[in-house]
Amino acid sequence: MKLIKSIVRPNKVDEVKDALARLNIAGMTVTEVRGHGKQKGHTAIYRGKEYNVSLLPKMEVEVVVADALADEAIKAIVDAARTGEIGDGRVFVFPVLESYRIRTGEREV
Amino acid sequence: MIGAASRRDAPDMSLTGPDAGSTLRAALEAAREDLRQEIARGDGGRAALQAHATRVDELLQQLYVEAGVPDRPVAIIALGGYGRRHLSLHSDIDLLVLFGGRIGPSEERFLRSFLHPLWDLGVVVGHQVRELDEFADLETDNPEFLLALLDARLVAGAAALFDRLQAMFHQPTTHAYILRSLLELVEERHARFNDTLYQLEPDVKEAPGALRDVMAARTIAMLTDPVLLRRGPADPGRFEDAEDLLLRVRSVLHLESGRNHNVLSHELQEHTAAVLGYAGAEPRQRVERLMSDYFRHARTVGRTLEWVRRAAPVPVGPNLGLSRDGIRFLDPVRAAAAPASWIGAFQAALEANTEVTDEALSCIQQHAERYRPDDFTPEPRDRAALLRLFRPRPGLYARLSQMHDCGLLGRIFPEFDAVAWRVVRDFYHKYTVDEHTLLTIRNLERLVQTDAPERQRFKAVAASLPSLELLVLALLLHDVGKWRDDEHAPESVRMAAEALDRLQVPPEARETVLFLIRHHLQMSMVAFRRDTEDPEVVREFARLLGTEDRLKLLCLMTLADIEAVSPETLTPWKEELIWRLYVDTYNHLTQRYGDELIGRNAAGLGELLTWRPHDLSEAEIIGFVEGLPQRYLQLFSRDAIYRHVRLARDIGPDEVHLSLEQTDGVWTLAVVTLDKPFLFSNICGVLSSFGMNILRGQALTNSNGLVLDVFQFIDDERFLAMNPDAHGQVLHVLQDVVSGHADVTTRLRGRERSVLQWRGAPRVAPVVRADNTASGRYTILDIVAGNALGLLYRISRVISQHGCDVDLVLISTEGEKAIDVFHITKAGIKLDEAEQRALTSDLQGTLEGTL
Repeated sequence: MKLIKSIVRPNKVDEVKDALARLNIAGMTVTEVRGHGKQKGHTAIYRGKEYNVSLLPKMEVEVVVADALADEAIKAIVDAARTGEIGDGRVFVFPVLESYRIRTGEREV
Repeated sequence: MIGAASRRDAPDMSLTGPDAGSTLRAALEAAREDLRQEIARGDGGRAALQAHATRVDELLQQLYVEAGVPDRPVAIIALGGYGRRHLSLHSDIDLLVLFGGRIGPSEERFLRSFLHPLWDLGVVVGHQVRELDEFADLETDNPEFLLALLDARLVAGAAALFDRLQAMFHQPTTHAYILRSLLELVEERHARFNDTLYQLEPDVKEAPGALRDVMAARTIAMLTDPVLLRRGPADPGRFEDAEDLLLRVRSVLHLESGRNHNVLSHELQEHTAAVLGYAGAEPRQRVERLMSDYFRHARTVGRTLEWVRRAAPVPVGPNLGLSRDGIRFLDPVRAAAAPASWIGAFQAALEANTEVTDEALSCIQQHAERYRPDDFTPEPRDRAALLRLFRPRPGLYARLSQMHDCGLLGRIFPEFDAVAWRVVRDFYHKYTVDEHTLLTIRNLERLVQTDAPERQRFKAVAASLPSLELLVLALLLHDVGKWRDDEHAPESVRMAAEALDRLQVPPEARETVLFLIRHHLQMSMVAFRRDTEDPEVVREFARLLGTEDRLKLLCLMTLADIEAVSPETLTPWKEELIWRLYVDTYNHLTQRYGDELIGRNAAGLGELLTWRPHDLSEAEIIGFVEGLPQRYLQLFSRDAIYRHVRLARDIGPDEVHLSLEQTDGVWTLAVVTLDKPFLFSNICGVLSSFGMNILRGQALTNSNGLVLDVFQFIDDERFLAMNPDAHGQVLHVLQDVVSGHADVTTRLRGRERSVLQWRGAPRVAPVVRADNTASGRYTILDIVAGNALGLLYRISRVISQHGCDVDLVLISTEGEKAIDVFHITKAGIKLDEAEQRALTSDLQGTLEGTL
């Protein structure tokens, strides 16, 4: 199993969700996060006053998928979240050692 | 005796028959003798005095019958103590002889026949002779007389006339005046006794804790809250006992002194103690018992009065009183029949930072169903009052919730009633639709007074708007369409339109409210689901909004709405997204919007032409608006635009056409001319010279070089209000200055110190920033400075001195801070860098007071 964690633009979450759903990947966790990568943020001016916009609002989408599905899922996320501009985000992939269902205590393979 | 003199001179003496006189004398003497005997037995208290008053009534009734019938209806009315039937042995008999019309010879004859026998009997009569009409206006020179009128009681004559007097007299304003006067009189009187009731020789009428205080406590209760005495510190029975003792003592004093004497002096104490039956072997012991009894009762009276003064509802409006538990209807019966007064109760509660009492709420609840929506706001002032109620401030949510709970809100807005307790099942809403709605209003109310550092930016947005009542109205109605299961916003708009029409909300305000309701989900949609870094997205959003005010309103609405979904919904993350969209859109609207000009196919132009009045042709309208910035169509109502078109009609070179109008305390000046150097700065200078506080200014130029400047300002020094010819004077001076016949600096000389020679450390450090990138056509000057009289004049004069044209100005103020955005050009194009530097440095110097 793989844990796929992607940081995407807030307005792309729905598209990412739909793309994953098309692969029958339904369970996911979505978190509001802030951060920056290469896109360092910028300075905005409002009514004569500068203010720094260094941490940008992003969404973090986490899904756990079977190894066989991982490549497809990653591609789906990248396609859905891409605009071609700086700030499109990142996808991280982690191996998952074990997984348990809390309700039943049953271990998933 | 009431009043120093009666209103009319005494009529000539002419005696009635001696027989009649002697019969009367005998009757009066018999009554007095009976009272004397009661007093001597120690029983000269309330019962005896009431019986005596009844005997005197009979006497007067007999006199009335014998006096013959005058032409006009007449009423003999007992006032003051006699009105209350507390007639002591030597008290004055206070009477009002009231006529239902002009006093002529027949009435004078009646007066002689009625009053002379009384004087002959040696009765001290304090009489007032009045015509009913004299009570039409509140008489403020004799509060004692008004107080005595509170005890008015018909003794003889026309009952209908008496009723008319009562109706004319018992008015809320009169009651409020009497109450104020009474409280003052009590203080003065107490001060005469050094504010203590423990007098060794007390005056049982005047001293603190004595008979006048009994009356004062009763009167305050009667004028404010009749059941007050029942809730006082002393058992009502003990208060009555105290009064009875005071009356019995007073009776003995009258009997002993043979006159209207009320001081319980050392000499009289022994005798009084004996008459009233105080036990003790020695006279000294009897006196001590009398006096300790007296002080005990006086203390009861003193405490009761003190309590009543503290607890009495203060009249705060027609039939409204502020008491310790909130705003109540002074007369619930009257309130039940006057639904238009109910909104006032909630307004008063908001102003006094209190609640509406349960009693008042249940009165409303019981009767609300009888009335239709219009009954609550029948007059324009009622509708204006309803809007005023919506100003966000502490307590608004709580009061609206009370209005909702007692059914009033749903009666005024049946639209809102449609979503009462309405449950809409979705993943995020946690409350019923009505509560969600009221919570949005609570969020706004909290925002405008929040100290939370992270909210200050939104709070400043709220503070920069002239009023938020319309936003609250929009919030109240934004979800009413949710009674249906499908898309609710269009249904909300439809229902809100009905409510707004019913309340006769002016067209512009109506449009704003409906716009906000129609698009209340738009800002969160764009902020959370669109790529706001795409300038096209911001541009589209800005186009939808059109003006900064609408942006601000929608931004606040969005925030309040999301926060009311559930406590967790509005995360700092979402706030940040909303804020960024706000800033980008704001900058777009203020800096780039001047670029978009009205063309022949502009949106909104068709409507303008369709609805045009008969006197305006399509060509005339197009010729005027073509080339003006697009925002012009959004900023001004159709009627205002038509007025501008007329103003521009037949304008020639060197001519200036002006109009000056006022709505809701804000003046709008529109100036049309073809010639523009120094125009903006000259107008600012003239307005400043009259002490006007400029709120907003728009300088607009169309394709034909026609300049339209529109200023909104407040007449802080009330120059326009106080001087009848001021309107003309302002226009005249403007005409002279703008057309170059007069110099504005001469005008300003009188205000040199404040306007021209403005110095000193400004509280807000001025910021001047020039930008050539934001707009395709203009150099944008962003200026932030401490707001001061003449600020705009100083800025725009410097701009003009640099040979620049002011093409568009956006003026706004946030508290002490003025934020002005000037769109300028020089010889038709943007300023180059050197010109920018020279201008900003001069402006900076001017604003810092160093130039």
